[in-house]
Amino acid sequence: MRRNLKKIFIATFSLILLVLPFLFRNDYQVYVMNRALIHVILASGLVFLTGFAGQISLGQAGFYALGAYTSAILTSRLGVPIPLGIASGVLLSTVAGLVLAVPSFKLKAFFLSLVTIAFGQIVWLLLLNLDSLTGGPGGLFSIPMMRFGSFVFTNTAYYYLFLIFTVLTVEIMRRIKFSHIGRQLFAVNDDEIAAETCGIDSRKAKVFAFGFSAGLAGLAGGFYAHMAGFLTPEPFVFFESSNFVAMAVLGGLRRLCGGVIGGVTLTWLPELLRLNIRGFENYYLIINAGIVILIVVFLPNGLGEKLFALLGKLWKEDPQHETLRSGVDRRGKLQ
Amino acid sequence: MELNDILQNAVAGVSIGATYGLIGLGVVFLWQSINRINFANISSAMLSVYLFFAFNTLAGLPYIPSFIASIALVAVYGLFLRYLIYEPITRKGGGRLEFVVATLMLCVFWLSVINAVFGGLPKPFPPVFGDPSHLVHFGGLSLPGVYLWIFLVVVILIGFLHFLLRKTLIGKKLRATAQNKEAAELMGINVNLTTSLAFVLATTLVGTAGILLAPVYFVSLELGGGSIGVKGFASAVMGGLIDPYGAILGGVTIGIIENFSILFISSTYKDIIAFVVLVTVLLWKPRGIFNWISKGD
Repeated sequence: MRRNLKKIFIATFSLILLVLPFLFRNDYQVYVMNRALIHVILASGLVFLTGFAGQISLGQAGFYALGAYTSAILTSRLGVPIPLGIASGVLLSTVAGLVLAVPSFKLKAFFLSLVTIAFGQIVWLLLLNLDSLTGGPGGLFSIPMMRFGSFVFTNTAYYYLFLIFTVLTVEIMRRIKFSHIGRQLFAVNDDEIAAETCGIDSRKAKVFAFGFSAGLAGLAGGFYAHMAGFLTPEPFVFFESSNFVAMAVLGGLRRLCGGVIGGVTLTWLPELLRLNIRGFENYYLIINAGIVILIVVFLPNGLGEKLFALLGKLWKEDPQHETLRSGVDRRGKLQ
Repeated sequence: MELNDILQNAVAGVSIGATYGLIGLGVVFLWQSINRINFANISSAMLSVYLFFAFNTLAGLPYIPSFIASIALVAVYGLFLRYLIYEPITRKGGGRLEFVVATLMLCVFWLSVINAVFGGLPKPFPPVFGDPSHLVHFGGLSLPGVYLWIFLVVVILIGFLHFLLRKTLIGKKLRATAQNKEAAELMGINVNLTTSLAFVLATTLVGTAGILLAPVYFVSLELGGGSIGVKGFASAVMGGLIDPYGAILGGVTIGIIENFSILFISSTYKDIIAFVVLVTVLLWKPRGIFNWISKGD
C-alpha cells in the first residue's frame, strides 16, 4: 500500500505537470511558469556547481546574458536558425565558464565569489555600453519567436519545450552525479588535497563543473530571449545572480531537485504576493526578501530537504537512500 | 592638461578613495571576527544616509544631532545583524553559503524598504560640507572644498581608529580576537563582546562612509548596492581582508585609478575599473597587495 502510495503520488504529479498550462486561468500565469522553468534550468546548474563541486558563482546572470544576447543577435541580425542560435549561445557561455574556472584553481569561496561578481558586472556594463551590438539600455527588439513549420510557438508550446529540457537537465545531472565524474566532484568538494592524492584531477573537475553550469545558464538565456521576444539589460543585473544562488540554496544544494524546488518557489513567490494582495505593489519585494531570509536562516538545509523528509514519512521510506552521501553532515565544508 | 586638473583629480580621488577604504574596513572587521563576508555591508551606508536625510531635512534637526542619531541607529543595526542573522544561522548549522545568501537578500530587503518608504528618485543631500561647486583657493590652485572636507573627516576617523586599535585595551582585545579566537578566550578576553564590537564598528564605519559619499552620490539607492559595494570589497581585498591600513590604502589606490581613468580614458567605463582592479589583485596576489599583517606566515 505504501509503495503504491508513492507510485500514485508520482503519477498524479506527472499528470499535473502535463496538463498544467490548461489549469491556469490566463496566459500570464503560463508565462510565469515558463520563466519558472527557465530559472529551474539555471538554478540546477548552480546546484551542480555549488552543491556538487563546492564552487561558488555570483555571476550566473553573466552567463545567462551571454546565452540570451548571443542567440538574439545571431537570429535577429544574421538570420541564423533559432536552434543554431541557442546552441551558439550555449557554446559561448560554456567557453566563458571554462575561462572563469581558472581563478578557482587558486581562490577559495569568498575570493572566488568576488571574481564571479566582477565577471557578471563586467558583462552587464558591456550590455549597457556596447550600444551598436546590444542596443544598450533600450535593448534588443523583434527577436524571432520559435516556430515549427507554420506554427508559431505560444506560451503553452514553450511550456512543453521547457518542460522537456528541464527533465533532460535533471536526468543528465542525475546520471553525472552517480557516475565517476560525480563522485570525483563530491570528492573535490569534500577535501581537495585528499582527492588529489587519490589521483583525481581537481582542476579538471572544477573546469567541468563551471563549464556545465555556465552552459545551462546559457541555455536558459537563449530560451528566455526567444520566449520574451525582446531583451533589455534589466534581467541580468547582479541582484538576479544573487537571486539564482538564493534559489539553489533555498531548494537545497545537496538535492538533484533543489534547483527545481528553489526555481519554482522563488519565481512564483513574488508573483503570488504581487497578484493576490491589493495595493501591495510597493511592498511585495520587501516581503519576498524577508521570506527568503527567514527560510535561509531557519531551514539552512533548504526546502527540498524538508519536503522529502515529509514525503518519506508519508510512504515510510528513508528519503536519504538515493543521495550519494547519505546522512553525512557537511556543514561549513565550503571554505 | 593643466597642473590644476591633475591636482583636482588627485584630491578627489584620494578623498573618495579613502571613503571606499572605510567601506572596506567594514568588510575587514567582520572577516577578522567571524570569518564571513557580509554582502549587505553597503546597506549600512544607504541606511545611515537616508536616516540622516530623514532627521535633518524632514524632521529639521541640526547636522550634528542628526549625524549622531543616524550613526547610533546604524550601530544598533550592527547588533541586529549579529543576533538576528548571523547567530541563528550558525545555531541552525548553516554554513558560509547560507550567510552569503541571507546577507545578499538583506541587501535586496533594505533596498526595497528604502524604495517603498522614500521612493526611487535621488534626493539632494543637505549641504553639510558647503556648496559642492564651491572652490577653495591655494595660491594659483583651486580645489573643490567638499573633497577637502571629506578627506579631513576620513583622516580624523582613521586617527581615532588607530588610537582605538593600538592604544586602548579594547582595541588590543579586538586585535587579539582577530588573531586567534580560542587563544584570546583562554586569556580571559570576552570574545562575545569583541564580536559584537566588530559588528558595530563595521556598520558604523560604513554608515559614516555613506554620509561622506552622499554629497557626491546624492541621497540615492545607488549607495545601497551595485558598484560602491564592490569598490569596498576591492579595497578590502587589497588589504588581504585582514589589514585595516591596507584596506584604506587600497581604497585610496582605487579612488585615484578611477579618477584618472575618467580623466584620460572615458567615464563610461569608470565602474569597470574597480572590477578590473579587483580581478587583477585576486589573480595576481590573492593575499592582498597592502597586507603587512600576514606577511610573516
